[in-house]
Amino acid sequence: MLGFFATRLGYLVPVLIAVTLLTFLIASLLPGDLALVMLGDQATPETVRALRHDIGLDQPLWWRYLSWLGGILTGDFGRSFRTGEPVLAAILARLPVSLELMLLAELTALMIAIPLAIRCARTSGGSFDRIVTGIAFAKLSIPNFMAAMLLIYVFAIQLRWLPATGYLPFGEDPLGNVRAMVLPALTLALAEWPVLMRVLRSDMIATLQEDYIAMARAKGLKQRRILFVHALKPSSLTLITVAGLNIGRLIGGAVIVESVFALPGIGRLLIGAIYTRDFMILQGVVLFVAAGFVLVNFLVDLIYAVLDPRIRHVR
Amino acid sequence: MSRVHSLVTSAVMLAFITVVPATAVAQKSGGSLTVGLELDIPGFDPLKVGVFDTSASMAAALMFDTLTSLDEAGEAQPKLALTWSHSEDYKQWTFQLRPGVKFHDGSAFDAKAVKFNIDRQKDPANKCRCAFYISTIKAVEAPAELTVVFILSDPAQNFPKIVATATVNNVVQSPAAIAAKGADYNRNPVGTGPFILKSWNAGDRLVLERNPVYWQQGRPYLDRVVLRPLPDSQARFASLEAGESDIVWDDEFDSDNILKAKKNPALAVHQHTGSGAGVYAFNTKAAPFDDVRVRRALVMAIDRPKWSQVLTNGLSRPATNPYGEGSWVKCKDDGAFPFDLGKAQALIKDYGKPVKFKMLVTATPRGRAVGQVLQQFWKQAGAEMEIEQVDQTAIVTRAFARQFELTPWRIIDLADPDPQMYANFRSGSPLNLANYTNPELDALLDRARVTPDLDKRSEDYCAISRLINSEAIWFWSFQNTYYAIAKAKVKGLGKFHSGIIDVSPVWLE
Repeated sequence: MLGFFATRLGYLVPVLIAVTLLTFLIASLLPGDLALVMLGDQATPETVRALRHDIGLDQPLWWRYLSWLGGILTGDFGRSFRTGEPVLAAILARLPVSLELMLLAELTALMIAIPLAIRCARTSGGSFDRIVTGIAFAKLSIPNFMAAMLLIYVFAIQLRWLPATGYLPFGEDPLGNVRAMVLPALTLALAEWPVLMRVLRSDMIATLQEDYIAMARAKGLKQRRILFVHALKPSSLTLITVAGLNIGRLIGGAVIVESVFALPGIGRLLIGAIYTRDFMILQGVVLFVAAGFVLVNFLVDLIYAVLDPRIRHVR
Repeated sequence: MSRVHSLVTSAVMLAFITVVPATAVAQKSGGSLTVGLELDIPGFDPLKVGVFDTSASMAAALMFDTLTSLDEAGEAQPKLALTWSHSEDYKQWTFQLRPGVKFHDGSAFDAKAVKFNIDRQKDPANKCRCAFYISTIKAVEAPAELTVVFILSDPAQNFPKIVATATVNNVVQSPAAIAAKGADYNRNPVGTGPFILKSWNAGDRLVLERNPVYWQQGRPYLDRVVLRPLPDSQARFASLEAGESDIVWDDEFDSDNILKAKKNPALAVHQHTGSGAGVYAFNTKAAPFDDVRVRRALVMAIDRPKWSQVLTNGLSRPATNPYGEGSWVKCKDDGAFPFDLGKAQALIKDYGKPVKFKMLVTATPRGRAVGQVLQQFWKQAGAEMEIEQVDQTAIVTRAFARQFELTPWRIIDLADPDPQMYANFRSGSPLNLANYTNPELDALLDRARVTPDLDKRSEDYCAISRLINSEAIWFWSFQNTYYAIAKAKVKGLGKFHSGIIDVSPVWLE
């Protein structure tokens, strides 16, 4: 088990280096020079040259990359070009919002997907199955921002049950925090559950045809026990993989959802950084998100091994 | 006779109806106001942020004071300064400051504080981008505790109006707090204004509370103002509809929501047409724009009302000169060509060669839409325009380097037309984007900036407009217009000078 853990951890290093390199290159190749953005209407060639020198943009690309990477290894993510705010502090201040949003969204999606998938698998081909699969398919084709606007219209503007925008820190107002999070989390969850449901449903249908399930039935075990204990665990491997991979989609969705619902998370930070060409913030956020994504998938691998002992032995 | 009589009575009654409630309903104190801004505010330290955008200026107007303020008519009124006077050549302005004013940290406001702020911004060692905007201030002196003198390099007749806006340069920040807080000052600003910063969550709301010892007795009326950045225009409007915001910033490109709000009795749309306009500059050194016939033809081919209809459901207000309705420059005749497609076609035909050129537009949905409409207008006139989409910042570089045939630009709201007109049209100026030289235009620009009589100045600026319009070196699209949508109970909102919605005088009904 320890060896497995170490090998998987070893894979992380090259992946993260590749991520930092790509992030840096993309940020550097974006059109629109930071010095020009900062100078705006006073961007004469002389002032641009002076500012580029001040913030080190006149250094060669490789040198800027290496010094940025060196800083990260010592925990220094640099400072925002625009405000001088340390990048790490800016990210950490906004991270709780995004984490809460994604966690709630993933949980909600699972809570919708698992019961529906089990019910659909048990009665596969029946009318319930067909309706739910149909809804899932339809929901897959509604983009996040659209779902967000619909939810805001119904629950915030018409019914006035929940706030349309805003965020309150949990420490200040726990109830207000949860209320503000319901619609954003639901928006993301609505985009996620169809995928999870469909994956679990098809795995579950396959599992239910296994001999040992027939055996369990023959033993006279209760339906509920067969479904939730005997069938769910072996059927959930793909579900967990997909849930892990979904983190990427969730982060992408969070960028949109945070903008629509005005949540001060890292998605908003990222968008602001792109608009203002604040490369330090941009690089920092993308690196953070990528590292988070890689780590989550690393954890998924571990959970895999816990769920299915065969995986531990194969590797 | 009886008809005249009834007209008079109804006029009197109307006057009665409109006047009485204003005096009978006293401004009420108390309450909280939530404001939806467009953008996150990066901070308030001039050295860190360089310039305040509209959102930052709206917050600055609450926490800080400026030397003067602008009234409804756009005239300068006392604020931190009580009186002011100028030298004969308008190059030296002396302000007598209000005694007994304190910053929120308890330190005293005086002439030294004003001098400190400007000196700090101008100090070459600080490399502040903010210094650019006050390059015409040569020095600030504090000869007495409450006397401050601005020494300018160029004459500025409207200097007291220019220092009224809550810009990065004009707001007076606490020298003691800047010294004490160092790098943290940017997000912990201290001023003398009617509201004090209470809390500020990263990327989220700023909570401001009433300054209990504000120098103006009984002000402000509100106990608390919450500023929330809501970048998405749909979300901003939704927050108003859902009752989470009391007033939101808006612009005419969000015309659907503005028109919707106008029909809603619970909401009020406040709008202000400032000075300045969206503008376009022809590069008169590049063919085909080296020929005045082509330039005139293109200007004549623009149907502005239709353009406005397509872009903003008709909300955008066509501009025929660079000054705008909000400016004190009023022209009986600004020399603008009326829309005349037939004449435009004839001019192009007269030119004889095919008219083909590229126009820069910002690579945004708005930029594209604006360009596509022009493309259609000019196609009808017989000219072929190709849209070249570039990044917003690239437009500035290309404009400075004159690497364009036709570029969009903007004349922003300023209390006086001189700084921008002089920079944009005086021959040899780096911002003379049209590359155009005309001794008559230079003479008018030189004279207008030093003429003391406002009517005569206004006439000079109208002559300048006539010359520019006739030569068609620049043309104007729409006037700078600013919008706020508020709940009907929000009262006391002033004009949005320079597009800044100042909610400090607001009270709630």
